[in-house]
Formats: sequence, structure tokens, C-alpha cells
Amino acid sequence: AAEPWPENAALYQQLKEEQILLSDNASSLAVQAFLQMCNLPVRVVCRANAEYMSPSGKVPFIHVGNQVVSELGPIVQFVKAKGHSLSDGLDEVQKAEMKAYMELVNNMLLTAELYLQWCDDVTVEEITHPRYGSPYPWPLNRILSYQKQWEIRRKMKAIGWAGKSLEQVLEDVDQCCQALSQRLGTQPYFFNKQPTELDALVFGHLFTILTTQLTSDELSEKVKNYNNLVAFCRRIEQQYFEGHDKDNSSSATSRSAKRSLLR
Amino acid sequence: PPLAILQAYAKFSGAPLTVNAINNSWRAPKGEIPILISEDTAISQPAKILNYLRKQKYNADYELSAKQGADTLAYIALLEEKLLPALLHTFWVEAENYCSVTKPWFASRIPFPLSLFLPGKMSREALNRILLTRGGPPLYSLTEVEAQIYRDAKECLNLLSKRLGTSQFFFGNTPSTLDAFVFGFLAPVYKVCFPRGQLQEHLKQLPNLCRFCDDILSCYFRLTVSGHSPAGQDTVDANLQKLTQLVNKESNLIEKMDDNLRKSPQHPPRKLTTLKLAAGGEESSPLNRLSP
Repeated sequence: AAEPWPENAALYQQLKEEQILLSDNASSLAVQAFLQMCNLPVRVVCRANAEYMSPSGKVPFIHVGNQVVSELGPIVQFVKAKGHSLSDGLDEVQKAEMKAYMELVNNMLLTAELYLQWCDDVTVEEITHPRYGSPYPWPLNRILSYQKQWEIRRKMKAIGWAGKSLEQVLEDVDQCCQALSQRLGTQPYFFNKQPTELDALVFGHLFTILTTQLTSDELSEKVKNYNNLVAFCRRIEQQYFEGHDKDNSSSATSRSAKRSLLR
Repeated sequence: PPLAILQAYAKFSGAPLTVNAINNSWRAPKGEIPILISEDTAISQPAKILNYLRKQKYNADYELSAKQGADTLAYIALLEEKLLPALLHTFWVEAENYCSVTKPWFASRIPFPLSLFLPGKMSREALNRILLTRGGPPLYSLTEVEAQIYRDAKECLNLLSKRLGTSQFFFGNTPSTLDAFVFGFLAPVYKVCFPRGQLQEHLKQLPNLCRFCDDILSCYFRLTVSGHSPAGQDTVDANLQKLTQLVNKESNLIEKMDDNLRKSPQHPPRKLTTLKLAAGGEESSPLNRLSP
């Protein structure tokens, strides 16, 4: 797979304004950030059925040449096979650390986002259900929505999160942010001068949490408690997303934290 | 693993802990073992138990920097995501292992009629967990999922080995929570001989991790590290015997522990109510309950 990166590479996600949910938006933004950091152009295409087009059922996925790859992990591998990598300069111990922190984000932040979206009744009623099936007519929208909810709840139960209360989940988020904040310290990126896929992943999640309007502000407040994390997000936003003609979180979001993604 | 983690942590931090092998899983509130019983509070789930121990000032992490504390969380997440599925699979799902080692072992420790269905239940739950979290497209068959989780587990072991390097413990010369967790995950893999033990074979190729387990076992658990037992029924007996020894340990082992053990400077160790750790089975028995 030594073909060069084509000009027409595309990244697929759900509809931005009406449909996409917090967790998917975070994942998509992480991939976009990663590709930007690698200097690989990609255009964002929004499709209502992005989830179903994806080879693994998860968004985002990229369509490059005649290959389709989904999720950050495999995309990082794919990009590496094409000769671009952000983590080549790290030694073995740092690579191990990077992988561990990426798991931490997936384990805690992503799961917390999924919990909030699908297991917290208020959020489910007011935000998730209306958004998730919005491109489809009734009753399909309700059916798809319930089906997904059931699937996520099963998963939560299997890993033991179903019994958690919202406070506990928020506490976990806080713990995770604290760990990230401590690890970042005063450096510009997690591994000092150069961003890596970890920075992209953390940015994707934290920025989304900070800028998504939910039924309450508790989640974003947890992140805001850590100044270096907020500064980190702003820095990456300015460096990689402003001044680009892209259909994503560009300068429209500007300096302030709140941008309403949702109705 | 949860039980091994907690015992290791207790040893590292100097908490006086007695292991009581209760062979009645019904009594545990909500059926979750291990449980910490201190005075009249009962706490289940390893993470909560660790928090409780910390609040009671048994803290093995006092000298860790903030960054090291953060690293601990990250590595624990790595263990749970990448190593745990394969561990579950080796113990509870892989048919030969389950039938010849795990099930008889577990069933012999719990009373009839629980022994009839509890192992089966745990096996199903393990498979469920693996499939729900790791199955799904593009992996369509169980064999593909299995292949993937073992690949991930081996990579995880490699990463741990690289991180440990030549140090004695993960953060210098004294053990901490992370060491307890890693030990808790690795010890069962290292010590229990399964007919299909690809994880163990892989682990044996990483000498610093083996040395890490041996060190902890010999320093903190007063076990002589024995060599391989012959395969077959003898293996099971030898393992059972070794584990029974562990279970019968008294809490006076604490006094004989290394001076290296961390005691919080402002809070002298409390010689108070002995904390009883109730466990359903022996110490490094296969997963008693899946709690994140």
C-alpha cells in the first residue's frame, strides 16, 4: 500500500447539525485532528447512513483510494503504512505510555459519553432520541433509536457501568481529566514538542465535550476545571483548524466554549 | 485477578488484612466477591476497596508524583482493555481449559448446589463480555475475535515489559497500586498451568515480567517459587495445594514485611480492627466476579 495519499480522500460521519451525537462527534474530530497533524488533506462528508456504511459499524471512517478504514486505531495504522506517522520519534517506553493513555481515554471518556447519551434518561429523551433517527421518517426513527439504545445498554451492563449513577460517571470523568491534566503539565503536547495521535484523541473528546450543549453543564464543567486542558484544546484548534475551508469545527467556534451543536 | 490485586496492594501498603475463604457466594451482597469487611461496612469491587484502603491511610502511592499517579490510571485502563478479555477467555471460555482446570477448581471451592450452575454462569458472562466489547464487525466469527484478543493481550504484555525495563517495580524501588494491578493480572497467567496456555507461553518469553511476579511472590507472599509441575491431574493438585497455602496465611506476615513498605509520614500505621477480606475461593483463583 505504498500509493501516495490521494487528493480526494474523504471522511464520513453523520449529519452534523441534526444527527450526530456527542461520542461520534468526538471520535470524528479526533480523526480529523490526526489527519491535519499529519498534513493529509481530507474532506468531511456527512451522510445519514454513515454508521451503516462503515466496515466496523462505527464512525468515522475514511475512504482513501479504494480502501475504507474506520476508527482511529486502524486509521493510524493505515496512515503509517503509507509512510506517515506522528509517533515514530518516541522511544519504546513512550509508545507504551501513549497507548496506555489512549486506552484510558477510550475506557473512561468515551464510555462516559456513551453512558450519558444512552443511559441517562433525561438526555436520552431530550437529545439522543430526537437526534439519532432524525433523518428518517417515523416509525423508523424510533425503531433505530431504541435498537441502538438497547445495544449500548447491553454493553454497559457487560462492563459493569450499568449500575453506575450519573454522579459516579462524572467522577470518573473528573478522575480521567485529572490524570490527563497531570500528564500534560505545562507542555504544549503530551510528548512535549510534537503532537501525536494521543493529542488528537484527547482533543477530539475534550473539545467536543466543551462545545456541546447538553441538558446540563456538568460534563463540560468537569473539563473546565483544568485550565491546561482547555488551553490545550484552544491551541490545537487554532493551529490545525482555523483558516481552513473545511466543513468542521472551524473558526465559527472561535474562542468561546459554548457552541450549540444541538437544537 | 481482583483478589490477587487487593492482596498485593494490602501487602504493599501495610494494611493488616486477613483473607477469609468464604465458600458461600450467596452471602456476599449482590453476589460480588471479594468483599472487604471492616467494622460494619462491607465494600465490594476492587476499585472501591482500594479507595477505602487509601482513605484509611493505607496508601502505597504516597511517594508517587502526580504524573506517576496519572500513568497508573492509564496503565490500568490498558490492562482492562487489552489483557482482561484474553485472560477471561483463557480461564472461562476456552473449552479445554475451562473443563479441565477452571470449572473443577472453582466448583470444589463452593458448596453444592451453587457449584452446579455458578461456574457455568460465570463462563457465559465472560463470553458475553468478550463478544459485546470486542466482537462485532469486521470480526464475524468467534475464532476471529479470539485471534484478535490474544494479539492484543500479547501486545499488552510486550508493552508492560518495555515499560518495566530493568527496574524492580514500575515506579522505582517500591511497589505501588500499579504493581498490585499488574501482579493481580499476571500472577494467574503465570502460575496456573492450562492445557491451552498461549498467554503463559508468551509471558515466559518476557523474563522481566516473570521476575517481577516471582519477586512479589517471594517477598510478599512467602512462597517459594516452584518449577513447572507435570501436566495433568498433578498440575491441578499442585496448584490447589499452593493456593491453599496462600489462603491459610495469617496476618502476622504483615509484621515481617520489608521496611520498604510505605507508611504515610503523618499517619502512623494503625493497629486497629483487622480488616477482613472475604473471598470466595483461594487467592489467585480465576475471576470471581467481573468488576471493572
